[in-house]
Amino acid sequence: MVHAAKSKAKDVLLELEDVHMYFGRVAALAGVNLRVRKGEIHSIIGPNGAGKTVMMNCINGLYKPQRGSIFFDGQRVNGFAPSKRARLGIARTFQKIELFGGMTVLDNIRLGRHIHMNSGIFSGGMWIGKTKREEIESRQFIEEEIIDLLEIESIRHKTVNMLPYGLQKRVELGRALALQPRLLLLDEPLAGLNLEEVEDMARFILDINEEERWKVTCILVEHDMGVVMDISHSVFVLNFGHKIVDGPPEEVQANPEVVKAYLGEEDMYTTRR
Amino acid sequence: MSSVWLPCGDYHETYSQDQGWWQTSLIRFKMISLLAFVFIGCPWALPEGWHWIAYALAGLGVILFLVKIIANPPDFKGEWVLYPFVLALFMLYRLPDYYLSVMVMIGYYGMGALGVQLLIGYTGLITLGHAAFIAVGAYVSALMVLYFHWPQFILDAGLAYPISIVVAGVFAGFWSVLFGLPSAKVKGFYLILTTMAAQFITVDFILTQYVAQIGGRGQAFSLPPGTIKVGPWVIDSDVKIYFVMAVILTLMVAFVANLFRSRVGRAWVAIRDNDIAAETMGINIVQYKLLAFFVAGFLGGVTGAFWLSNTAALSPEHFPWFLSLWLVGVILIGGVGSIHGAILGALFMVLITESLQWSVIPLTDYYDEVADTLNPGQLKNILDWLVPKLLMDFAYIKDMVFGLAICAFLIFEPNGLSYRWWQTKNYFNLWPFSY
Repeated sequence: MVHAAKSKAKDVLLELEDVHMYFGRVAALAGVNLRVRKGEIHSIIGPNGAGKTVMMNCINGLYKPQRGSIFFDGQRVNGFAPSKRARLGIARTFQKIELFGGMTVLDNIRLGRHIHMNSGIFSGGMWIGKTKREEIESRQFIEEEIIDLLEIESIRHKTVNMLPYGLQKRVELGRALALQPRLLLLDEPLAGLNLEEVEDMARFILDINEEERWKVTCILVEHDMGVVMDISHSVFVLNFGHKIVDGPPEEVQANPEVVKAYLGEEDMYTTRR
Repeated sequence: MSSVWLPCGDYHETYSQDQGWWQTSLIRFKMISLLAFVFIGCPWALPEGWHWIAYALAGLGVILFLVKIIANPPDFKGEWVLYPFVLALFMLYRLPDYYLSVMVMIGYYGMGALGVQLLIGYTGLITLGHAAFIAVGAYVSALMVLYFHWPQFILDAGLAYPISIVVAGVFAGFWSVLFGLPSAKVKGFYLILTTMAAQFITVDFILTQYVAQIGGRGQAFSLPPGTIKVGPWVIDSDVKIYFVMAVILTLMVAFVANLFRSRVGRAWVAIRDNDIAAETMGINIVQYKLLAFFVAGFLGGVTGAFWLSNTAALSPEHFPWFLSLWLVGVILIGGVGSIHGAILGALFMVLITESLQWSVIPLTDYYDEVADTLNPGQLKNILDWLVPKLLMDFAYIKDMVFGLAICAFLIFEPNGLSYRWWQTKNYFNLWPFSY
């Protein structure tokens, strides 16, 4: 297969090749190339409207780029629906929280286990047997791996709409984790959080990335430069749909073009601390 | 903390306890009593001369009570004392046949509303054509019972009608999927139109023009006595119809309740709440929407097949578009997005219309008696016109009350009766320290 031959070095999990995405005549992405290696935290930064979320949506499958290829683990995934990409192991959180508001925290996270379960209407309606076993296994996984990790024991039976913003963000991370993803897209996980919550969230992201149990590769879109520079292995800078630079944080910080892109937006370049 | 209120100091130790039904002894007692009420209390009483059994049960209850307070064995649960009393009470009395037929109507609307609830309340697919699937179920079942050449041993065993119920459900399910196909592309108002199309194409066109003509009797199918037979029982009395209703409704509620605590039901609720997020979580939206249409159609088909046992004749007029609307009204009043809602809504609607009937008929009787004693005048003229009209045009009054009830609920209790029920339950769960 042509595309299999194209699969690059073994340690590359995700690769974007010359991706173009237009909305009418506006080029949201104009030939973006990105390589995410296994096990790293790869941040995407850029001014507002640079196309960061568009990039996430292309990786995730919500948008279909007009040109270019997206390879996940050596496989071209361009035509795949979001649900199929989720089955391959791509999970995401959203900038604007997209939880299932009427469901409890536990049900939201259980929903993330959807692709790991396979009971249908018959066994589901009967409950006894397969479905019961499956539900209890998944409950055990959720309790012991996710709720414990994210420290949300006390709210597990609360309806999500009733929770404060910071906890909702945390639940959304938990729901994405329940997929046991190989690639986790985090779209501004720190936006709107207070300092303490930012520290917690950064710690969770590091845990997910580094702990032997998880070892999830993360793509992080974020405006909090302090956190980005501290926790990422490499940083990708995007401006008006073009890549400016892609490299380790120190290199990016020293790059004059990056500084220029952010000119007049020094606030963004400083952290809130 | 568990999802239900546990008594102070009680904790679950396993996940299966925490996810089980009937988690406390109080809930277990309530539910078992409810089932006993439905299956024993309403339809059945001890025959004349056998009442001593109930008194003996009550005596057993007294003995158990004494055992409990004197010896108190370690594994002796408190609620065991209560069961004999409850059972004895239910065995002594039964509802008269008229009330049983009212219960059958409640069950019928409850079953229909359950399918609508699944589509509107849980999956967010608004449907105004559910009567079509009930009709399809009724006709498939009737045609099978009347025209299928059953092997004699199946007829002898009384399995023809039960088998036709299942087949009717499956057929109506696929019929429903056919009209659910547009839901892959359209949402909201447009979906309402496609489901309405299902109603008019199915009932007004296919069933009225073609299916109802089979056999050449014109509009109505009539089912000869003895054809509706479940096992050894020919369904020919109110009590037997009631039992068919109770069994089917119980199975349906259990089935739907189980679905909503497992994978498929959660996926439906996720599609309702946020379809984009649901898709990124790995749910194939189109597939699950069609699955929802299938299950709702299945429930509708079984409902229709049940309806057969309640009527000796079947006509497309039993399934007007108004029935579809009525079922949506039932879940609006009962509460959207809750299984209680379908049942409570059906209870409310049927009881309200029945009680209106109870009040209108005595009212006209009473007026006939006193009319002559009233002084002639404007008021008497109005009453002379109005009171007989109430009785004559009762169908319109019923519709008016339906509209009025929906308006009132949307304004004063948009969450429906099931929310009130939940609030009341919680009040008593926490009573007397509800802070």
